[in-house]
Amino acid sequence: MTSPAHPLPTPIPKWAYAVALVALTVTWLVLQENGIALGHAAETVHEFFHDGRHALGVPCH
Amino acid sequence: MSTNTYKGLLLRGVGAGAVAGLLAGLVGVLVVEAPIRAALAVEQARPDAPDAGHGHGELFSRGTQVVGGVLAAVVVGLAVGALFATAYAGSRRWFTSKAPFVRAVALSAAAFGAAALLPAVKYPANPPAVGDPATVEYRTVLYLGLIAAGLLVAVGASHLASRLGHLGAPVRATAVASAVVAAVVVLLVAFPATPDAVPSDLPGGVLWEFRLASLAETATLWLGLGVVFGLLVDPATRRAKRVSAL
Ligand SMILES: [Zn+2]
Repeated sequence: MTSPAHPLPTPIPKWAYAVALVALTVTWLVLQENGIALGHAAETVHEFFHDGRHALGVPCH
Repeated sequence: MSTNTYKGLLLRGVGAGAVAGLLAGLVGVLVVEAPIRAALAVEQARPDAPDAGHGHGELFSRGTQVVGGVLAAVVVGLAVGALFATAYAGSRRWFTSKAPFVRAVALSAAAFGAAALLPAVKYPANPPAVGDPATVEYRTVLYLGLIAAGLLVAVGASHLASRLGHLGAPVRATAVASAVVAAVVVLLVAFPATPDAVPSDLPGGVLWEFRLASLAETATLWLGLGVVFGLLVDPATRRAKRVSAL
């Protein structure tokens, strides 16, 4: 087996962009959502994840 | 599944993210919870209780919020695990090392530096009882902007390292490190200061215990992700397993 000096990058399929979008949206909902996407329900999400938001260093209140 | 396909890397990234998120959540319960409680006590002792609308501990009990804190770390771990795998797949040729484990840990160290350490230096994490609700949007823009700028520095550094491939390792490392330090100093000076002062009723001990504990949790998340992902993708792990099975 020949190993190149720089390993080749793995081809990234188109659906990987959908995966990235889902991942970013989920991160946003847990750490940042304050009513833009969920409206009033955002307060419930905010309070449930509140310890996690503060502990992960995200601006809050 | 092969470590040479995106799907194989993605599954390992999500798995490593789940493990790292669980470990980070554990650090949250064991280390971050105490200063959070101390800060909430300060907040509750305020006579004007400006936070009536925010409703700390009204919507959910403290115990539920602790569970929510662990769950937040796990869910964020799964999400950044997927993003990490994608970045790893796309950026393999930027790394000067050939060992997948070393590359995974280097990538997680860069991500930790840009997404956790850099914002922690300029905009340190605050416990409940700190922060004016009126400035939260501005603070969020500053925080996310600094993370984005930090990620750009990390990408630029890896480009520079591969561009300087003809130089000897010590010279190359010195050049790249100097460029990163210069860029980080520029960012720290250029970004505006955080708009909110820390209220005087919050003891400095509680504040800094919280900030360091929070940094420990994000470090566990990012570096744990790199180590577990590295173990999952490195062929040396499989070889070691085969040897120990004999
Ligand atoms: Zn809050």
